[in-house]
Amino acid sequence: MNPLSKLKSFAPSDLQKIFIILMLPVFIEMIFPSLGACDRFKPILVFAVLGFGLNVVTGYCGLLNLGVAAFMAIGAYTFGILTVSIYPFQIGAWPALLVSCCAGAAAGVALGLPTLRLRGDYLAIVTLGFGEIVQDILRNLEVITKGSQGINPLPRLVVFPNERGLDSPIVSYLVILCIVMFVAWTMRNLERSAVGRAWTAVRDDELAAGCMGVPVVRTKLKAFAFGAALCSLAGALWASGLGSTGEPGNFDFALSILALCIVIVGGLGSVAGVLVGAIIMVGFNSIVLVELSERLGAAGFSGTQNVFASPANWKYFVLGAALIITMRLRPNGLLPSKPSEGGVL
Amino acid sequence: MTAALTTHDVTLRFGGLVAVDNVNITVNRGEIFAIIGPNGAGKTSLFNVISGIYPASAGKICVENIEPCLQPSMASRLQTAYVALISGLSALVVVNVTAVWQASINELFVFGEPFTWTSALRAMFFTIVAQPLTHTVLPLIIGATIGGLACHSLWYAGRRNTEVCSRSGLARTFQNVRLFPQLSALDNVLIGMHAGFASGFFSSLFRLPAVIREERRAREFALGLLRFVGLEKYSDQIAGSLPYGSQRRLEIARALASKPKVLLLDEPAAGMNPTESAKLMEIIKRIRESADGGSTIILIEHDMKVVMGISDRIAVLDYGSKIADGTPAEIRSNPDVIKAYLGASFAGDTQ
Amino acid sequence: MTDIEVLIQQLLTGLSNGMIIALIALGYTMVFGIIELINFAHGDLFMLGCFAALTALGVSGMVDVEPGGIASIITIAALFIIVPTFCATINWCVDRYAYRPLRNSPKLAPLVSALGVSFIFINIGLFWGGLPLEVFGYGSAAAAPKNFPALLPFDNLLGDSAIFVTWRELLVVLVTIPILAALLYFVKCTATGKALRATAQNPTAARLMGIHVDSVIGITFIIGGALAGVASVVYALTYNTVFFQMGFRVGVDAFTAAVLGGIGNLAGACLGGLLIGLVRALSDQYIATQWTNSVVFGILIVVLIFRPSGLLGSRTREKV
Repeated sequence: MNPLSKLKSFAPSDLQKIFIILMLPVFIEMIFPSLGACDRFKPILVFAVLGFGLNVVTGYCGLLNLGVAAFMAIGAYTFGILTVSIYPFQIGAWPALLVSCCAGAAAGVALGLPTLRLRGDYLAIVTLGFGEIVQDILRNLEVITKGSQGINPLPRLVVFPNERGLDSPIVSYLVILCIVMFVAWTMRNLERSAVGRAWTAVRDDELAAGCMGVPVVRTKLKAFAFGAALCSLAGALWASGLGSTGEPGNFDFALSILALCIVIVGGLGSVAGVLVGAIIMVGFNSIVLVELSERLGAAGFSGTQNVFASPANWKYFVLGAALIITMRLRPNGLLPSKPSEGGVL
Repeated sequence: MTAALTTHDVTLRFGGLVAVDNVNITVNRGEIFAIIGPNGAGKTSLFNVISGIYPASAGKICVENIEPCLQPSMASRLQTAYVALISGLSALVVVNVTAVWQASINELFVFGEPFTWTSALRAMFFTIVAQPLTHTVLPLIIGATIGGLACHSLWYAGRRNTEVCSRSGLARTFQNVRLFPQLSALDNVLIGMHAGFASGFFSSLFRLPAVIREERRAREFALGLLRFVGLEKYSDQIAGSLPYGSQRRLEIARALASKPKVLLLDEPAAGMNPTESAKLMEIIKRIRESADGGSTIILIEHDMKVVMGISDRIAVLDYGSKIADGTPAEIRSNPDVIKAYLGASFAGDTQ
Repeated sequence: MTDIEVLIQQLLTGLSNGMIIALIALGYTMVFGIIELINFAHGDLFMLGCFAALTALGVSGMVDVEPGGIASIITIAALFIIVPTFCATINWCVDRYAYRPLRNSPKLAPLVSALGVSFIFINIGLFWGGLPLEVFGYGSAAAAPKNFPALLPFDNLLGDSAIFVTWRELLVVLVTIPILAALLYFVKCTATGKALRATAQNPTAARLMGIHVDSVIGITFIIGGALAGVASVVYALTYNTVFFQMGFRVGVDAFTAAVLGGIGNLAGACLGGLLIGLVRALSDQYIATQWTNSVVFGILIVVLIFRPSGLLGSRTREKV
């Protein structure tokens, strides 16, 4: 083996570089604990998992899922119901995380079985409608979901329960980071397996794939269910981080579009791209805009007098512009997927 | 000789247009069988019916005397019943979820006190029974009906599709090459082998050793196929970037990957120069020789040199119906064929 | 009110709402029919139309006119000219600058762009509601619903009958039916309509036949936009409330209607709109208002299982 190429294999890949970047908040937290860097950056990780979920469906399999927020809600509420002390289940945070994934996958199968045979465009409206009615259902079943109060308090994900003070922000950040790395690893595995190839085949040419013996509907269903499971995982992580499921209205269409922005801006079908997309979009949306709001509010410009002065009011604009600009200038995203140099689009 | 593929009175209608009209073809095992005919004679439509892209309006198609079409079985009926039951029960639960939850969880569970699931289930049952009939029997019936009908109609729609046909041993290429242009040549062939992969979703998810072993074996087999069509040098190239003739050969390799009993080639020599089509004829002949037990090849072709050079028998289609079939020599001298298809000039050439 | 009167009342409400939905659904279905794009921004265009109508009233000072008086009739007529023009212009611009450059990209690109446009429209609506005008409450609460002045009288046209039919329902019918008739005439019987249908079937062939495909698509967007504008005036006059997220909700209904009827099919969109209107009204009355969305969604799924191309759509076969 050529020594130079050996050296090259030690150079970090895009994915490794991104994980190094994602480690930064831990060091910042160690040096400046008052900044609360870990807690601020945690949403990036949670939404990266959501992005992975959408990436499986849209990036790998080419189906537009506009209801990821609904699957996230299913995960969050399953996690909440199974862990909260007002209900008799109380199975603990880690098992609940697993069950949440299963619940999401089950919902994905239930929605996918009748609809995945339809032409792709119809799926967009079906998932969009699903996203709406899940919110409605959560609001209507107030007896179970506690309506706008949300289900709380929910447990954090702890590695060694209640000993040696391992419940610090750094540990909980690292736990989620490990989960993200694990998910990224499974995504890479799937990409290189027969399942991943079948997804790409169905995305590129459904008819030819069918003629080659790829079971089209079952392949799509796998992507849909796995994507839904990951979205539910994101929801459970989100609820656990927040300590509450929040209100049903949190899981609105804007959240699904945020997930779409993450995947599109980063690069459809690319694991590293999803992480970059999450860093950019979530970093902007829930760190920069929020920070700016606080600063402006402190300086005396509040959004109540002037609608333009509140950065939070620019949220839709940012999401919309991100989609349009990416499509015009860099349709394959910032880090296009590797095996197909041309990217998905 | 056994028949590899037979079509019995196959008809395909698009609205008022009859694209394929009562076509009967019998292709013997190990044969190279050509289908020719003027443009628009229904050759590709016939292929599309055989490979399950279009459902036949009438008639049936058999591969080795078995019709590639799911028959209603105990399993499919059980599946329908199961889906009906599940959807009926879910409708029942969905309609009464608030009352059930209230009675079995909210009222029975007091923080810190033991909670017995049997009493919760009992409360659940009695709550549902106590509901008015419109909240119990009605959703149960409606849910079960819709679920059962939906399951049955989805099963019926997917009874004979491309996947079922492929599993029965049919593989095809397309008139306008339909590779997966963004994947490498090797991956294209590996997709053709998809049905042969045994490892499931979860073992792929964690990339268990068995998956890696299977992948390695599959790769070797696929490389062998690429070598067979003379593309082993380009295994890592993106399929869309290959020259046209290579793309056509890659498509054949991809179709062979599923180890088909019958291989359908739709104008394999279209757009090829004489050297390339000679190479192609060589490949087609070798497919028949190399395949154990004899692979059968059906091809649509306009290039008469290819057709007459390699096929054992030929069928001629015109306006959707078969006007002749026989050996190349018979077809060459068949007056109907000369009149309907070959035209005066070609007839002059051959005589 | 007797049971039967309740039913009739709900059917009337359902039909009049259904006609508004149908107007918007037509915009979706026309654009889809011609370039196979789900124009997600269409519902939000409708919302912008409502804001335009309210602004026009605020700027011209016709806020406190007497309902049913001559001034109000002139105002309404003016709205029916201004707002559709406004919406048509915006829709054309969106096509020109956001969708046309992506015409040759894969299908997902314009779809994602449409979602982006939709979100920018929502944000514009939010800012618009924050403008310092009297009709917007001087911009103090941008996101809050705004009152739209009542320009139509509330009198029951049926006199003392228990069934309530006002000018609102009548206006919907009087506006929608002629417009639908005109649209059908345009598409079926004029040269432009023929060009439109040709482009929908095969853009390449249409271009080869000398049809200027881009302008045909532009015309489609103009018509769709104008229909959304008409719908927004009718809606605002009927419901008297306007807010920046209404486009999404109404848009989902309209799009569901288009899919239900068979997307790309004009008659299907009308049928779907009426059906959705009726289902909503009946579900509001006989099931529960808060479950109406779920009922509509359930019906959509069931219809798509048994008729995958919608009620009136024809199954399109892929060319091999």
